[in-house]
Amino acid sequence: MSIALENISKRFGGQWVVDNVSLEVADKELFVLLGSSGSGKSTILRMIAGLTEPSGGRVLLHGTDVTNLPPQQRGTGFVFQNYSIFRHMTVAENIEFGLRIRKAPREERMRRREQLLDLVGLAGLGSRYAHQLSGGQQQRVALARALAYEPNVLLLDEPFGALDVKIRSQLRRILKEIQQRLGVTTILVTHDQEEAFELADRIGVLERGRLLEVGASEDLYVHPHSLFTATFLGAGTVLVGRASDGQAQFGPLSLPIPDDSPHDEGARVQLLFRPEHVALSADRPPPDLPLVGKGAIIEQNFTGPLRRVRLRLPRLAGTRQISPPPPFGEEGLLIDAAFPSEAAIDGQEMWVGLRSWTILDKPDPHLLVCDLGEGPTTQLALARLLADRLRARTTVLAVAEDPDQAESVRAKLGERAEAAGLSGATLRVRFGKPAEQIATEQAQSLYEMLIMTPRPGSKAARRPALEPRAKARHLGDTLMTVLEHADVPVLIAKGERSQVERVLICTAAGEPGKNDVREGGRLARRLGATVTLLYVSRGSDVSALTRSHLDRAIATLKSIDVEADVRIRSAPTPVAGIMAEIRERDHDLIVIGAHGPRSRTRFKLNDVMLQVLSIADRHVLVVPADRV
Amino acid sequence: MSQGEKAGRGPMRARLGEWALIAIVVLYAAGLLLAPLVAIVWGSLAEGLSAFAREMTSADALSSLKLTLVMAVGATVINTVFGVCIAWVLVRDNFWGRRILNGLVDMPFAVSPVIAGFMLILLFGRTGWFTPLTEALGIKVVFALPGILLATVFISLPFVIREVAPVLSEVSLEQENAAFTIGASRLRTFWHVTLPAIRWGLLYGVSLTFARAVGEIGAVLVVSGGVSRLTETSTLFIFRSLDDRNYVGANAMAVLLAAISFVILLVIETLKKRTEQTQTL
Repeated sequence: MSIALENISKRFGGQWVVDNVSLEVADKELFVLLGSSGSGKSTILRMIAGLTEPSGGRVLLHGTDVTNLPPQQRGTGFVFQNYSIFRHMTVAENIEFGLRIRKAPREERMRRREQLLDLVGLAGLGSRYAHQLSGGQQQRVALARALAYEPNVLLLDEPFGALDVKIRSQLRRILKEIQQRLGVTTILVTHDQEEAFELADRIGVLERGRLLEVGASEDLYVHPHSLFTATFLGAGTVLVGRASDGQAQFGPLSLPIPDDSPHDEGARVQLLFRPEHVALSADRPPPDLPLVGKGAIIEQNFTGPLRRVRLRLPRLAGTRQISPPPPFGEEGLLIDAAFPSEAAIDGQEMWVGLRSWTILDKPDPHLLVCDLGEGPTTQLALARLLADRLRARTTVLAVAEDPDQAESVRAKLGERAEAAGLSGATLRVRFGKPAEQIATEQAQSLYEMLIMTPRPGSKAARRPALEPRAKARHLGDTLMTVLEHADVPVLIAKGERSQVERVLICTAAGEPGKNDVREGGRLARRLGATVTLLYVSRGSDVSALTRSHLDRAIATLKSIDVEADVRIRSAPTPVAGIMAEIRERDHDLIVIGAHGPRSRTRFKLNDVMLQVLSIADRHVLVVPADRV
Repeated sequence: MSQGEKAGRGPMRARLGEWALIAIVVLYAAGLLLAPLVAIVWGSLAEGLSAFAREMTSADALSSLKLTLVMAVGATVINTVFGVCIAWVLVRDNFWGRRILNGLVDMPFAVSPVIAGFMLILLFGRTGWFTPLTEALGIKVVFALPGILLATVFISLPFVIREVAPVLSEVSLEQENAAFTIGASRLRTFWHVTLPAIRWGLLYGVSLTFARAVGEIGAVLVVSGGVSRLTETSTLFIFRSLDDRNYVGANAMAVLLAAISFVILLVIETLKKRTEQTQTL
């Protein structure tokens, strides 16, 4: 191994910029670290060169631990993004600098210099100064300077980042050629996936300091494991459906889940397909291919070699779209397809089939906490508890009305998150109407759960009102709108409890929906809490139908390894039954479905849920209905 | 926008106004800057060239000139070395009190040189704080050469720092980092990479320091005691000559100092141009 990183980390001002990265680069390999800005890719490179001291872990070059060596003794060749050639030296002096330090004899220096000038295509320009060279030429000098003393490894930090496109591709070719000819082990850092594809023997994808995936370009592009890699490496459609009997379900579309990517029964499954893997046909469904549906072409672009097409299909039941990001209010399913541009696409309505697809790995849970920037911080404390127990990533969101407040809002948000022990959370500030911004944030990233609070100052209502929707308004319009539109569970922090030990799953709001029981059970299991399954009957008798529903709920919980205590109460109204139960058994969290017996649409909020939300001083988890 | 465009535009009246302004500026500069120069040259030659030469080769004049140059060179060397160090620390390091130090550096600009001299007397005078120490070491500071040197160093301290700091902060750290990865030690990197990059700014600061040191009188007047041929600098020589009504001597020395300053000014201007050129390239 030419380069080996062992659990290397770097912390800057409380943030892990590089988080426990281990990596091995083989001899003569050209390895590309790919990530967006701030992903920690340059920091890793600087730690290899010794310019930045790691907070933890080891760096090995050719088997030697160099973690504690200064940069001078590591023998790396480093090319920086901005032109770092010495401006007061000629090109020749620049290239010879490393040889002079190593006290190479004059003839040797001259021979090497001429050789390198030739290699990088600058023969005859040895007597020029930096200001007499173009940007591309300066980077070639920097490359020659780094290669002159035959370094152990070559490290390139976005070397072509500041150059224009044509020169960039030209330099890539030169670099690849030189690297292959000299056989020097190389790590190149870039944010440009095209550059990575063109140069890399292998690519490592970095996100927020973590190395997500390592692999050959084509493998990563066609069969990525993570959502980030899938979307970062190129265009494509990503859908979220559910796992059922080893199949990933996206409405009528059912695809097998590969064995090496296990998903819990009923868990969310992410499907990726690239534009060029979409098959379109006008007259009949493409034969022998999984069928997504029939949709209309809404956009067509000629981009030179490719013709890009966007179609809108009817939404698939129980399916959510992550990519391409659906605009706010979009009801359909958007699918991008690409074809060689000579292929003519005619017809407006097309059948959409899949030639190739990938089921992504089960994602790390990711929580979105919506903070109002003032008032109690129960929701932050709750988020911390969940983040700990679920090993989840957390994003704290604040919505400001006006971009001028960005700085102060962010600072305040940071203070509140820090005080709640959420210092590792990502902070995000958006501008506009809170409900809309929360929806947009949710649509752009993939969150498992939203955590919110009612409007500050809203006291629990004394008793259930006649018109629950009106009465529930005291909770705040934002919360109501989010509840109406959310397609992931929403946890509403109420009261002061910061521990969750007893979870109550209410099936009182009609027939027990599969989804609420499963989500509630899974959350309870991860929290290590006890589960009570509650049914409220009006009379004293329980119908056979109810019994069978309860049995199904218990079976659902069993399937995810949760033992539940079943309680059947009789009460004049379901709400009264629930309230009596939580008072008696002191439950910390109420799980309730957002669906109801009278609801026509799946997002319609039911009365019982709203009333419980209004009255109870406990946390409430509202689970959206199964989308069948 | 080019100048031609500016002049070409606008009505006749505006252009007349522009001409009037130019005339006023030229007259003002000539009256204020040129006239005294002509006057001292005229005064120095009032009794002929031989009188000029005689006054300039007098023992008093020569010793004062020598003292001035020695002091100026000494102060410049000291301020160059420490100025670069201070600028380096101010730009590169972040420590408690950095901003205070940054403000303190400008004090010699803000404080009158006479006060600066007075402060030295408070420190090193007969009942000064440091006097026991200097007496124990057998060094006489006030009314002696060390005092003059200290005063000169004090009043010319900010120039190098203020000229070097901005250039230093512009030098890309990546150049130094590149040198480190290539294998150059810190010292070697400073000599071969950092210093060449700041050289024009540094030379500019050095020139200003020297010019200021040559021309200083206030602080030196207070601390030197003005013993002729011992602690009398050229500026003090002019001062005493005027007192003694030796006008030719005073004028001649003034012409000489003005000539030195003028040469330095020319050098500064050239350097400035070079600096600007290398920065824009």
